[in-house]
Amino acid sequence: MSAPAILPGELDRGAERAILHRQLERTWATPAGFWGALTTVDHKTIGLRYIVTAFGFLALGGVLALAMRWQLARPESRVLSADLYNQAFTVHGANMMFLFAVPVMEAMAVYLVPLMIGTRNIAFPRLNAFSYWIYLFGGILLWAAFALQIGPDVGWFAYVPLSGPQYSSGKRADIWAQMITFTEIAALAIAVEIVVTVFKQRAPGMSLDRIPLFVWGALVTSFLVMLAMPAIMIASTSLILDRLVGTHFFNPTEGGDVLLWQHLFWFFGHPEVYIIFLPATGMVSSMLPTFARRPVFGYLPLVLSIVAIGILSFGLWVHHMFTTGLPRLGESFFTASSMAIAVPAGVQIFCWLATLWDGRPVWRTPLLFIAAFIVTFVLGGLTGVMVASVPLDLQVHDTYFVVAHFHYVLIGGAVFPLLGAIYYWYPKMTGRMLSERLGRWVVGLIFVGFHLTFFPMHFLGLQGMPRRVYTYQPEMGWGAANLFVSLSSILLAAGFALFFLDVIRSARRGPVAGDNPWDASTLEWATTSPPPPYNFARIPVVTSANPLWSEREALPVVTGLRVDRREIVISSVSDATPQARESSPRDSIWPLVTAVAASVMLIASIFTPWAVVWGAIPVAAALIGWFWPKGLPEDEA
Amino acid sequence: MRALAPAVLAALAFAGCQRETRDFRTDPPVLAALDDVAPLPNRIGGAPPDVYVALGQPYQANAYALSEGKRLYDGMNCKGCHADGGGGTGPALLDGWWRYGPDIVSLYVTLRDGRPRGMPSYADKLNSEQLWQVAAYVQTIGSYRAATAATSRNDQMQSRPSENRGPARAPLTEPPSR
Repeated sequence: MSAPAILPGELDRGAERAILHRQLERTWATPAGFWGALTTVDHKTIGLRYIVTAFGFLALGGVLALAMRWQLARPESRVLSADLYNQAFTVHGANMMFLFAVPVMEAMAVYLVPLMIGTRNIAFPRLNAFSYWIYLFGGILLWAAFALQIGPDVGWFAYVPLSGPQYSSGKRADIWAQMITFTEIAALAIAVEIVVTVFKQRAPGMSLDRIPLFVWGALVTSFLVMLAMPAIMIASTSLILDRLVGTHFFNPTEGGDVLLWQHLFWFFGHPEVYIIFLPATGMVSSMLPTFARRPVFGYLPLVLSIVAIGILSFGLWVHHMFTTGLPRLGESFFTASSMAIAVPAGVQIFCWLATLWDGRPVWRTPLLFIAAFIVTFVLGGLTGVMVASVPLDLQVHDTYFVVAHFHYVLIGGAVFPLLGAIYYWYPKMTGRMLSERLGRWVVGLIFVGFHLTFFPMHFLGLQGMPRRVYTYQPEMGWGAANLFVSLSSILLAAGFALFFLDVIRSARRGPVAGDNPWDASTLEWATTSPPPPYNFARIPVVTSANPLWSEREALPVVTGLRVDRREIVISSVSDATPQARESSPRDSIWPLVTAVAASVMLIASIFTPWAVVWGAIPVAAALIGWFWPKGLPEDEA
Repeated sequence: MRALAPAVLAALAFAGCQRETRDFRTDPPVLAALDDVAPLPNRIGGAPPDVYVALGQPYQANAYALSEGKRLYDGMNCKGCHADGGGGTGPALLDGWWRYGPDIVSLYVTLRDGRPRGMPSYADKLNSEQLWQVAAYVQTIGSYRAATAATSRNDQMQSRPSENRGPARAPLTEPPSR
């Protein structure tokens, strides 16, 4: 049976529920098939794609980690050559930071933020599609280079002069620098979308103090991205210019400055850590109430902590550079600011503990991951306070102590909550539950495997084992600990393998979830699992911070949106009072075309600076196609 | 089309390997065989060693080997006589004119055995692979033609555009005055 024809300008008032669904389906759905997959601008499709791709890169990076552990298991091992090992640790680090951690956090926001704030699509949906393609091409660039034995080999932060023209011949460092450009473009695009979505598209009634905490995390993270990423873009562009065109940004004898690289890099690099960590804390704060069975303790301190961490994160980049030699005042300032960030982090921990303390915890897999996160992250935070003090940092800088520390905060602080979040939101994304039994095994294996792998690295570092060495001599006495670490990493890898197995198996065979399997309180659980293309048949009205708990019977809704074109509600920034109806763009192939043109330009510019000139022409043509009015209902004012 | 994609990828892989391979430990027998050049009686031109051909002439087209050559050019103080390629006590290396011919075997023999009027032998300072690396670098220093691999500028005062910005100049039409 076909739906009745939609009249131009028809509103959703009065329509029967079933008819309304069919009308919205026709307006919002992405056509099936290959063309639909290339043109879609649905934030759920793109977000899911982003998440799957990022986890693909996680698996690839994990394989590299295992190869490195295989090489380091014995002294004087010949599994990987020195050159291959250099490429392996560089690609592992760059991949995990730029192709997994940051994108996966933003992808979770792309998928969840519009659902959590009750709107139908993310702001600038075509930019969103463009962002994914650019990210994908950047990732392919890095891994194709590695497969061709021209993977970058200068460490994930590519310090000059090692990465500069004199000491890094060939195109390896250029590939690193251009891969950065790809991921920065992708991240900046999403940051803009998230900020606009959160500020202007919230459901009526969702004032600032009713925003879910994950959305707060995503919002602050987006501001961090916008303020931090330009620094690395300038740095990597300057590096490419130095290498290709012969400029002298980092050549001290011609007036450049080597240390400038480290400042630019870490002015981005330290906020980067919080770009990864803040969404993870937001996930914890959003999941915890569901399993503690009470609203989160200390909503206001949690929000203020997120904002405070965001601001403080720009004031401590120099603690990565203590060994470069600093004035005493600089050392003291950055030691103090590094320790100060432990305060808002601690506030969050205590708010979570209080929520659990006062609640009636239901120990499902996501909550187990949260517990693993709290334990591991506190340990990593404590070693962080240790290396924040200059005297200790001078001793352990560039040793395995630092390797242990940052894996504790990155895996413990971000990957554990992320895995919990996958277990938590998987039913919403696919309509099916992950296995609870396997989930407990995953938590156990990953938690135990992680600590057995990384805790001994603290001791290795204190014994003086440096980072980024492809082998060591038997007389150093590091062999036993390294063998133990390498064997433990198999346990950790088994945990991840089981996780991937569970995710793939449950997509087909998992038990059907229903709309709200956890009895959670936020808006994404008010719609079906998986959500329809239009997210909500009618936009909900929010009356409290936990709308699904305070409105148990039925959510109040707004009506009056057109059904013949894609329309969303625009609301005010602080109180979310409805202000206007706004159209939301339809599917388009132009984001993909633009991304291909931009990729060709960026990759060719590794080889000749003229690529920027000639490559800009197809990019401009694609953008003209993108913005050319097509006479659709969405183009009306 | 199905067959083409792997073929293109394989070709790319081969090109990538050639340009970017970095072998930090060359086997001693290979090192010995690399010294096996057969120069003509006048010691200008000749045949390279078999192993050099078997390895695929790995020095001129390999960015890492060229940059090692450049590092050795600095370290052996080639600049003392030849400056940054512009010449001084010794002849210029940038102008496209070679007293003993432009081919790499001549350059290798020049570096290994020295030449009359001041060019010393480096046979007791560099091993055969290092001599090939310097020879390859010296050969490409003038960048008369576009190359798939070239070194870039050093972090030093600059006296000329870097090698990877070539072709930097057209070959000269007249021989240098000396």
